[in-house]
Amino acid sequence: MSSSTAFTPAATGVLGSESKDASAARVAVARPRSRRKQYVRWFFNLVAVAIAMVWIFPIYWMLLVSMTPIGSIYSIHPQLLPSGVTWFAFSQVLHDPDFWTAFRNSVIVTFSTVVISTFVGFLAATAIARFRFRFRNSAIVLIMIVQMVPLIALIVPLFYIYSKIGLSESLFGLVIGMLALSLPFCIWTLRGFVAGVPADLEEAAMVDGCTRVGAFFRIILPLVLPGIVSTAIYTLIQTWTEFQLTNFMISDQNHFTLPLYLNHFLSANQQILYNEIMATALLMAAPIVILFLLVQRQVASGLTAGAVKG
Amino acid sequence: MTDQSLPTPVGTGRGRSAPAAKRRHGGLAPYLLLSPSLLIIVAIFGLPLIVMFILSFQNWSQINEFSSALKGQWTGFTNYTTLLTDSQFWQTTLRTVVTATLMVGLSMTIGMLFALLMRQVSTWARYILTFALILVWSIPALVSTLVFQWMFNRQYGIVNVLLGYNNVHDWLVSSIDGWGVVIAVVVWGATPMVSIMMYAALTQVPSELVEAAQLDGANRRQVFRHVIEPIIRPVVLIMTSLSVFWDFQVFTQIFVLFSNQPNTQFYNLGIWSYVEGWQYGNYGVATTITACTMVIMLVITIPYLRQLLRIGGDAR
Repeated sequence: MSSSTAFTPAATGVLGSESKDASAARVAVARPRSRRKQYVRWFFNLVAVAIAMVWIFPIYWMLLVSMTPIGSIYSIHPQLLPSGVTWFAFSQVLHDPDFWTAFRNSVIVTFSTVVISTFVGFLAATAIARFRFRFRNSAIVLIMIVQMVPLIALIVPLFYIYSKIGLSESLFGLVIGMLALSLPFCIWTLRGFVAGVPADLEEAAMVDGCTRVGAFFRIILPLVLPGIVSTAIYTLIQTWTEFQLTNFMISDQNHFTLPLYLNHFLSANQQILYNEIMATALLMAAPIVILFLLVQRQVASGLTAGAVKG
Repeated sequence: MTDQSLPTPVGTGRGRSAPAAKRRHGGLAPYLLLSPSLLIIVAIFGLPLIVMFILSFQNWSQINEFSSALKGQWTGFTNYTTLLTDSQFWQTTLRTVVTATLMVGLSMTIGMLFALLMRQVSTWARYILTFALILVWSIPALVSTLVFQWMFNRQYGIVNVLLGYNNVHDWLVSSIDGWGVVIAVVVWGATPMVSIMMYAALTQVPSELVEAAQLDGANRRQVFRHVIEPIIRPVVLIMTSLSVFWDFQVFTQIFVLFSNQPNTQFYNLGIWSYVEGWQYGNYGVATTITACTMVIMLVITIPYLRQLLRIGGDAR
């Protein structure tokens, strides 16, 4: 894939408008090739759409199952297109008060985790990227190593400690657990973005009359924003879909998050109600996709990285 | 690293060293910045991890009475010697390593190709691909496994219909087919994160740098090798190590796909440890398996971790 038009000006144009002049000049020189370039771009567009369709197929299948009446799901000849569409499964889920309790809990836990994890992780990333201090390497090693600890092994001791200090069954305790799961990745990713901003830039702003806080908000923050957005998305999805840890910490139905609600639904019914499970899962995924589409637009509209230029 | 300072404009080289050296020793500041994160990480992972290692030297089986743990019978290295002389341990280890290698290799390669593709396409095509990837990423493993189970169902599955094997082929019986489905679910679910992170890293490559290299006569291969690769290397390294950690511990996918009772040919070290600990109550053995798993993962990822440390060890 990287073998044909990789990194020509047209391809790198995504990165910022600064390269426009240069690319315009080059296109003018190389006019006979530009038509071929367009064909190549269309070819890649087609490849991208084809891949998107393949990757989304299981989800299309979920949608199809969720819109099929439970009686016809067990058909010997599954069809690629829906024969009869019903929104029964969706309305069934949306009218379940337990779904909304779980939804509310999930929103509380996920929102708190994303905000705290990004903030706290950013502080730690700044420490690692900008300062040299004792135990610095030990801290880095620790952050890396904890990610290989199997959750299953931790659950019994963790459960014991949590019940001793009264944190089990609480959403607050759950947020602490989620933070531990997401922080290592956040710190590491943000470290890269902070390190990518030259220290001179901040100092230049301060020489020009910015305060340290002003320099942070006007210079550093816009430059590391893509990093913040991508770690926030990671934390968001990780927390929103987390099951193993939550399953051990929470058993009270009033504190169920959406994955627990789904699991409870799965085990509560004798026959697996595939249509309602798929409908629930799709309703779970919807807020994440909507949020991402909103953020993606913002990132693409100009605050893109590559602005690390000085 | 020096390659990371490449994006800074030429001419600042002399000015930067003095203030940079000054800020390296920030007194208490770095500790204060780091402490909230470390506190949370140590509280959740540290103490339980120590307890886990202690238990692997004990003969303890009462999961419900945790308070009796640590007062259990010390058995020294018995758990370890029993395990290391058990042929099932070596078979399971080999199986875990092979399947995890396939999963890591496939998800990293496909993810990288997707990220490179996203740079080559028009904005609308990138939106469509990103939309599909984010949708896939936001489906919990529990659900995606159920969908794959349903799609690969012998009687009602669409895969058999499309392949013309309707009602004939059962995908969950033979070792190769079964693991093939497991790897498909895992890789399908892992590529979105890898591609989106890689794409984010690729956007950090300044276009001037690429153009400058091209003007100096570098071909595409050289541009990738010497300009792009050094900048995205930290992300590649972290994604590879994380994939190793995650794919060594694939759990939900195997457990759900085989309806909570996977045959021993579908055990990896994680499943085996779970079965020993939670189904047979041999928590000592279970923690020993886990400890061995961690050692194996550490050995495999040491080269990556060392490189990560070298990159992260450079304060600027």
